[in-house]
Amino acid sequence: MRDQTTEQELKDRLSLIESMISEGRRNTESWGWTFVLWGVVYCLAIAWSASSHSAWAWPVTMLLAVMVTVVVASWKDGNHPETTLGRAIGSIWIALGISMFVLFLGLGLSGRLTDQHLFVSVISAILGMANGASALILRWKVQFACAVVWWAAAVTTCFGTDAQSMIVFLVAIFLCQIVFGIYGVIAAAQERKRRGPIHA
Amino acid sequence: MPDLPALNPVVHGRLRLALLSLLSVVEEAEFTWLRAKTEATDGNLGAQLLKLEEAGYLAVEKKFVLRKPQTLYRITETGRQALTEYVQALKQLLGPAIDA
Repeated sequence: MRDQTTEQELKDRLSLIESMISEGRRNTESWGWTFVLWGVVYCLAIAWSASSHSAWAWPVTMLLAVMVTVVVASWKDGNHPETTLGRAIGSIWIALGISMFVLFLGLGLSGRLTDQHLFVSVISAILGMANGASALILRWKVQFACAVVWWAAAVTTCFGTDAQSMIVFLVAIFLCQIVFGIYGVIAAAQERKRRGPIHA
Repeated sequence: MPDLPALNPVVHGRLRLALLSLLSVVEEAEFTWLRAKTEATDGNLGAQLLKLEEAGYLAVEKKFVLRKPQTLYRITETGRQALTEYVQALKQLLGPAIDA
């Protein structure tokens, strides 16, 4: 009986170590809300761009999304300690944001952003790259599946009509931003609930 | 199975073990972050952090940020070594039962 209790206690300690290490490394799951936010913002930018053909639709919505992300993140994760892993993943997404902003601002203002297929394909490929890199660092299969969806969208959008290309883009946004983001939020909440408080 | 005393008693406490594990993967962490992750009370958390500090497993830095006091904890090399040895001892004690 005593041996069984001891063995259970030891297993509990081992599982506690694993759970705390993964909690300390937790990054992307607690950022699920940003995937949802950016998914919604992409849809708003598409709607604005389609209705008015304004070159400012994407830069303005993207800038607003950046501001909302920074404000909410500093309020939500203000005291989250830095980890090498977190810095690596954060760097990927920051570099992605800057690349997309300068590329599409330049293309939009110069009037060369006329091919919708190319636009969607480039966005999808860049998002596939960022999701793929994050997934490989975190060894997170669900996020890698999102990267595959983005890469598939980057290829398929090169073919078909404008409408088909937009449908592919919207489906990828729905799956890889909205659904994946909600999954991340739920997974993080479930993990917190499952673990519960730790006593001495 | 060998008796529990083979394990380092400072590391073995649940909350202390959780704190060392958390701090082993971050560069440094604030008291408030550790409290949020462990959901421990201020008193209990403070007491266990002090024990780890006294054992030389944690380094503490107190500073003011925007006039607010901030306490940062960092695992020391001794602390990291103690955690590694604890995990090895744990695995040794559990033996084949580890996968059961």
